[in-house]
Amino acid sequence: MRQLKVEETDRLLTEIAKSGEQLPAVERRQFLKNGLSMLGGAAALAAGGSAVAAGTAKYAPPNVPPWTKSLGAPVIADPYGVPSPFESDVVRRNVPWLTADRIASISFTPLADLKGIITPSGLVFERYHAGRPEIDPDEHHLMIHGMVDRPIILTMDDLMKFPSTSMIRFLECPANGGMEWRGAQMTKLQFTHGMLSCCEWTGVLLSTILEEVGVKKGANWILAEGADGSHMSRSIPMEKALDDALVVYAQNGEALRREQGYPIRLINPGWEGNTCIKWLRRLEIGDSPYYQREETSKYTDLMPDGKAREFTFVQEANSVVTSPSPEKPLKGKGKYWLEGLAWSGRGKVKAVDVSFDGGISWRKARLTGMVEPRALTRFGLEWDWDGSPALIQSRCIDETGYVQPTYTQLRAVRGSSSIYHKNAIHTWRLHADGSVTNVQVS
Amino acid sequence: MSRYLNMSSLKILSLAALLTVSMGSGVAMAKDTVKDKGVGHYGYGKSATAEEIAGWDIDIRPDGRGLPAGSGSVEDGEMLYEDKCASCHGSFGEGVGKYPVLAGGQDTLTEERPEKTVGSFWAHTSTLYDYIRRAMPFPQPESLSDEETYAITAYVLYLNDLVEDDFVLSQETWDEVAKLPNNPNFVPDPRPDTHAKRCMSDCKKEVKIVSEPTISAEEVAAADDTVVKAAAGNEEGAGVYNGACAACHNLGVAGAPRLGDTAAWKARIAQGEETLIKHALEGFQGDAGMMPAKGGRMDLSDEDVTAAVKFMLVESK
Repeated sequence: MRQLKVEETDRLLTEIAKSGEQLPAVERRQFLKNGLSMLGGAAALAAGGSAVAAGTAKYAPPNVPPWTKSLGAPVIADPYGVPSPFESDVVRRNVPWLTADRIASISFTPLADLKGIITPSGLVFERYHAGRPEIDPDEHHLMIHGMVDRPIILTMDDLMKFPSTSMIRFLECPANGGMEWRGAQMTKLQFTHGMLSCCEWTGVLLSTILEEVGVKKGANWILAEGADGSHMSRSIPMEKALDDALVVYAQNGEALRREQGYPIRLINPGWEGNTCIKWLRRLEIGDSPYYQREETSKYTDLMPDGKAREFTFVQEANSVVTSPSPEKPLKGKGKYWLEGLAWSGRGKVKAVDVSFDGGISWRKARLTGMVEPRALTRFGLEWDWDGSPALIQSRCIDETGYVQPTYTQLRAVRGSSSIYHKNAIHTWRLHADGSVTNVQVS
Repeated sequence: MSRYLNMSSLKILSLAALLTVSMGSGVAMAKDTVKDKGVGHYGYGKSATAEEIAGWDIDIRPDGRGLPAGSGSVEDGEMLYEDKCASCHGSFGEGVGKYPVLAGGQDTLTEERPEKTVGSFWAHTSTLYDYIRRAMPFPQPESLSDEETYAITAYVLYLNDLVEDDFVLSQETWDEVAKLPNNPNFVPDPRPDTHAKRCMSDCKKEVKIVSEPTISAEEVAAADDTVVKAAAGNEEGAGVYNGACAACHNLGVAGAPRLGDTAAWKARIAQGEETLIKHALEGFQGDAGMMPAKGGRMDLSDEDVTAAVKFMLVESK
């Protein structure tokens, strides 16, 4: 047998380990065995033991699985790590009939499979108005002008020299759940609530930049504009700009993702996602709102009397049970850990209640992790399912005392044509077989 | 009163004072970032010149601020609209497929299915000029001249019966049309507008299921898979198509032959794959419409475009 150099051995081991990942377990065993024999001297490491255990889990004790008796992939097999292939179903999805094309469209975060409060960057929902541009950060600039003492143009290097701030905040499209105004329509949690994500955002407070340029008296509004083909634009009140608006260059510890506005975006915590302009290129300081298309024709809320509410910025308190859910059915009666997500654009989540009878009676849930203002907040409770059908709901109460409304309460005020800001209590119908479907109740 | 209305009376005496007030928002800010450091404290970046600002300052405001010189007539707008807008928005602004309806819908805002158009819903003509200038035509934003934008704006007003066919839009005539009919019907945000109480038991007497989805999970999944299925065999080409070419070729924007429209593709396919790839790479002016070089997506490699053309040919035979 010929001698292999160290590098070549490493390369072959990597290939064998990687190729093996693509194969079903039994084939993988044979593959690894052959592959390692070929390397010579490694036969002792050959995968596979004695008999394969019966049942679906072949390697339950006392059997020893092949990965325990062989070498795994080496370091930098994936220079940028990716999830296990066993998690390949946990991806963003879209609903083709919602939009004319996939360029001015939206995708949904797979909420049912996520834990904690941070949405992994690759799973944050996407919303494009003219597709996702590919921007070279060395060719990107932020211009700040209008009613300022000192109009400036910043390079990305310039921006990163300013004092830096990080905050964990949710991001939600105001159309999240909008398909449900006229009745239950979507069949999965991903589609009823998935225009929702939460990340750690890092950047420069907009107030710092405004102080640097000097805002003139009478300047009350800021036009934020993107560098994408839609030049996506929204008017932001000065009050928000000076409160907690952030010009963001990093997300969950690394550079902002392209889908999220690389190299920079605006984050207006707790406000409509579309105000958080991506690929931010321009901030114009002015005396009054700019009445852009996305704050008149769209993202205004039509009421039953024909009036339309404008500048409805805040995402009000909301919540949803993520397990059980259509994606997470139950497997027989017994003890379960019910869990879900709650959030409020007005501040911290104070409490979450859960009902199993469609809202007749409620139990207080436990907030199970970090409680940050304007951030997703995880809740859960222990629950003994007796196997009978149930109508499962959650209800968020935020620190202002606001209580998440029912559909009946929401429609009584707003009718069913307002598209945006649907934050009604959501109901999952748990069937006796453990499956879960989306319903609305009286 | 809403927060934003309060804004107009807000006197900004000192940014530093406001910043201190805003500390209650829950943002963890280090003290040294909120001291009144004054204008130009850091001195980062470069001063923006008037010329630099003019190149990017594209917004138009309700009172006409930002409007460029020049003018455009309904008459000129008609041809431009037909050429550049009608394939998505329809010749009469009626909308094609899911693309926006631009005209009609008057008196529907209180109906079960309101139709929100420029004439029935929009508040300001500035929004129309501004949006056409910044984002239209969908595949070629910022490609229209100021005059063309005036003309198309005028024509969309005409489609909504808001001006006569001899109308010419310019800075001089702006005030006549600045406010659209539905302008008075926009109101500030009054939320919170629900006042639910936190009841814990006996909150209601009975519960009935009143609504369930009519679309099955399978249908959603099937629709979800359409694109992926079509990609079989040429995933790269399909990926490029979906990410770039679909903007026009899904619906036939600007005379583009639609994917899968075998009749529209027959004569083109007869020209041979090489010719079609050349047209896609270098651009082509045909009788029906214009194919910009790489569809205007110069970030795509030649290989990407070639793969997409091959995908489209297979799907359209």
